[in-house]
Amino acid sequence: MISIEIKELTKKYKNKIAVDNLNLELNQGELFSLLGVNGAGKSTTIKMLTCLVTPTNGDAILNNYSIIKNKNEVKNIVNVSPQETAIAPNLTVKENLEFIAGVYEIKNKKDKVSELLKEFKLNEVEKQKAKTLSGGWQRRLSIAMALINDPKILFLDEPTLGLDVIARKELWNIIESLKIKTTIILTTHYMEEAEILSDRIGIMAMGKLIDVGTSQELIKKAKARNFEDAFIKIVTGGDINESN
Amino acid sequence: MKAINFAKRNIKELIRDPLSIIFAIILPLFLLVIFQQFKIPSDVYKIENFTPGIIIFSFSFITLFTATLVANDRNSSLLTRLFSSPMKPMDYIFGYTLAVLPIVILQSILFYTVALFFGLSFSVNIILSIIVAIPISILFIALGIIIGTITTAKASSGVGSIIVQLVAFTSGMYFSSDMIGKTFNSICKILPFSRVLDLVKGVLNSDYTNVISNVIISTTYIIMVTIIAIILFKNKMNSDNK
Repeated sequence: MISIEIKELTKKYKNKIAVDNLNLELNQGELFSLLGVNGAGKSTTIKMLTCLVTPTNGDAILNNYSIIKNKNEVKNIVNVSPQETAIAPNLTVKENLEFIAGVYEIKNKKDKVSELLKEFKLNEVEKQKAKTLSGGWQRRLSIAMALINDPKILFLDEPTLGLDVIARKELWNIIESLKIKTTIILTTHYMEEAEILSDRIGIMAMGKLIDVGTSQELIKKAKARNFEDAFIKIVTGGDINESN
Repeated sequence: MKAINFAKRNIKELIRDPLSIIFAIILPLFLLVIFQQFKIPSDVYKIENFTPGIIIFSFSFITLFTATLVANDRNSSLLTRLFSSPMKPMDYIFGYTLAVLPIVILQSILFYTVALFFGLSFSVNIILSIIVAIPISILFIALGIIIGTITTAKASSGVGSIIVQLVAFTSGMYFSSDMIGKTFNSICKILPFSRVLDLVKGVLNSDYTNVISNVIISTTYIIMVTIIAIILFKNKMNSDNK
């Protein structure tokens, strides 16, 4: 079943095309990674899909709702964990979850908060103010907050940026556990992360989606030794030599 | 409900970072007490005139910390998260306003209580003037939302302090604008601060001179500034306009 259908999605700024005629279909429960160098158009794509930015042209249908015509419906079925940790700093971990549950008017608020505290192993820090948590815990809380409304589609914008290897691995396990029941679009600069977590990977450059496939398909297509080399070859058109 | 939920969060954020609130209460309170010690021979400094001045002056600090709260929220990714949620622009405006109103009421009660010790006669007019001050405070909250929406977190306190100065110099709390000159007097009459002060002072002292023009001008300002705040904030909700 198709969960996201992106049709000719385009975003133009004055002198720049941030996203150029993007066409893509994502299946329900799929984890799709968007890769690209800085300025490739990943974040703008996510902003358009989460109704934060209005497309210049094109549309996207998310679980039968258009991001142009049905913004309210889209906002109720998606959620996002932004690039920077999006938490209320002076609220405790539990209060942050309760607050965001109020934003989405979750009916069984108490149960949902308890469930997320348990699922994300946040119980031990539930009374701690969010600003006092380490980066890894803050990111964990940020993702837990993004799951408060049981989103059909979840956007994770560089979820493990700046985390140490252990915190990153723990978050990978959490993201893995979300697959199947939630369609996930993830942006990342970490090749390993995309390779391990994704069902499919899309590579963007200069606003265009230049290749899509599984990591193995992309390696094969680029005739590279590993995924990182494949990515470099695809993005640069082979202008930069592979790693030794 | 979403607005109340947002207001609860804002109250917690403000209470747990109380420096600005303390400043908004302590400084005007200090001025109220100290100017009563000087025994300045001017009607402006009589307790029944100066207390409403202090209340309006304290509202300018409400502008200052509302601006800081909004600007800090904009600066963090929290608002990015909330902008992609089903919250509407009015939920944010009500949420910020409802969070600050208890502080407004607390300020007014506290200043009148202290004024009673300095000889202000207790009457029902005190309660009436607090009631009149509440919608006036919306003007200052909306100004804070506007400043927080259009400035960065660092710049918001600087721009907010311009309002503090404007209130101090143009409201007539320290001196009558007639003393300074025609141009300055005209500026004072165009700006809302002397009008809102005259309203609160008038209700407290049962002096209803110019009440109709003061009500019309103050209400126009409150509505106009609130609408501008809503439009600007709504505009910022679209990431295109950051």
